[in-house]
Amino acid sequence: MPDVRARYPQLIRLAPAGSDSSPTIVGQVCGACGRRSFPPDPYGCEACGAPVDRLTTTELAATGVIHAVATVHRHHHPRPETPFTVATIVLDDGVTLKGVLTGDTSAAAVGARVRGVAVPWDTDDDGTEVVDLRFETVADHH
Amino acid sequence: MGRNLLAERPTYVVGIGLHRYQHKTDTTYVQLGLTAVRAALADAGITWPDVETAYTGTALLGMGASRIMLSRLGATGIPMAQVENASASGSTAVAQACLDVASGRTDVALALGVDKPRGGLPMAPSEAGISNLEGGTVVPFTHFALLASEYMAAHGVTPEQVAGVALKNHRNGARNPFAQRQQVRSMDEIMADPISGSMTRLQCCPVGEGASAVIIASDDGIDRLGIDRSRAVRVLASATRSEGLYPPGVGIDAALTVETAQAAFDQAGVGPLDMDVLEVHDAFSIEELLYTEALGFCEPGQAAFLVESGDFDLGGRCAVSPSGGLLAMGHPIGPTGTGQVAEVTRQLRGEAGDRQQPGARLGLTHMVGVGAVCVVHVLQSPGA
Repeated sequence: MPDVRARYPQLIRLAPAGSDSSPTIVGQVCGACGRRSFPPDPYGCEACGAPVDRLTTTELAATGVIHAVATVHRHHHPRPETPFTVATIVLDDGVTLKGVLTGDTSAAAVGARVRGVAVPWDTDDDGTEVVDLRFETVADHH
Repeated sequence: MGRNLLAERPTYVVGIGLHRYQHKTDTTYVQLGLTAVRAALADAGITWPDVETAYTGTALLGMGASRIMLSRLGATGIPMAQVENASASGSTAVAQACLDVASGRTDVALALGVDKPRGGLPMAPSEAGISNLEGGTVVPFTHFALLASEYMAAHGVTPEQVAGVALKNHRNGARNPFAQRQQVRSMDEIMADPISGSMTRLQCCPVGEGASAVIIASDDGIDRLGIDRSRAVRVLASATRSEGLYPPGVGIDAALTVETAQAAFDQAGVGPLDMDVLEVHDAFSIEELLYTEALGFCEPGQAAFLVESGDFDLGGRCAVSPSGGLLAMGHPIGPTGTGQVAEVTRQLRGEAGDRQQPGARLGLTHMVGVGAVCVVHVLQSPGA
């Protein structure tokens, strides 16, 4: 099995090889004020001004709800190929981020549940497979 | 709490001048800027040596833009500086000019906005070493397409209702000889050519070149130079703020606008419902809805319906973006904020011709800039 790495290793942690678990998202918690944030910040806490050594890494579950969604028709790079769909997602852990959707996006509406999946992005010269985080809609069991 | 300098020392817009906003040409930025400044001096009825300090709002020109340009009006040796505050650069130049005059440091100050597009926009935040997941897929038009998605879902608003902003602003721009886009458009034309989400080409502002200039003066300056008081528009408020931290899901640009507008209305001693004319940062159609609501003009979700009912039209309850706004007049970055002040000044003087809002006495300008920052000015008609 070839090696696999994340396109943005500082932002996501891949599930162990062979697992069908979702990747997790790398966030931070401030030891001074308790704020949870994403993306990881190399400087300090935006809420209370604590220096970076007070920030600790925390893993955020890549599950949440679509807060807004848009299909992009014009893009200044060849990839992703247009049209593609992006969403503002409020993670179950309370952090808001934006991500690209994958798979069948017909159910990608405001309020739909999503989860993160690792999808092929590229291959390094040494054969390492590079994967990127995308989100797909999932049935809401609530 | 600091002092409200504008209340202590009345400060006025006494001259406005523009170079039309347009697609990039071979015209130098120096020529663009000088055209606007000469027009503003003529409008004020003063000469260049009367100007005591100058601020050039520009985000794209690079270092040292002011002196090589303004010295061609006469190298008078006055203090000059460039002001960069992203899309709010021109607005921030106005704020600095007002501060100079209101503080008593000078009696006459120039705020000029001038820019020309370059290949791409250099953005410091992308050099901050903070990466994100979207990997360049969420450019501004998609950021605002997402806000449109949220707005439509929350308030039961259709894409056509959001596009109504562009319908109105293109109609206004067709009456503005300084606008980059001067063409009335049909709803079919506006809904064509999708860019991202419900945002279409004509719901996204054009970024071209241009210039606009505003001359700010005190009572002493007006008296000494014999400036026509019946055309002097008082600056009641000049408020600038930067983004705070807002709860998850709250739109930062709108939340920042709420705070900046409050600061401006506190200075001015008036409220949003007193306004007769607004120039807001409508770089994308959805923004005009978000900002008119954030400015306190109506409840969240109502602006789309007020656009539809004509309340924001010229001749309506409050004219919003009578210049055509960023959508039709254009968004050349540096000039955009100074151009807003020029338009509201024209409206409050009653000199806006066939795009005049009848009886306009109070007006407001509003810009946000990447970062994010927000600048709001409140202006009052002569003799009000």
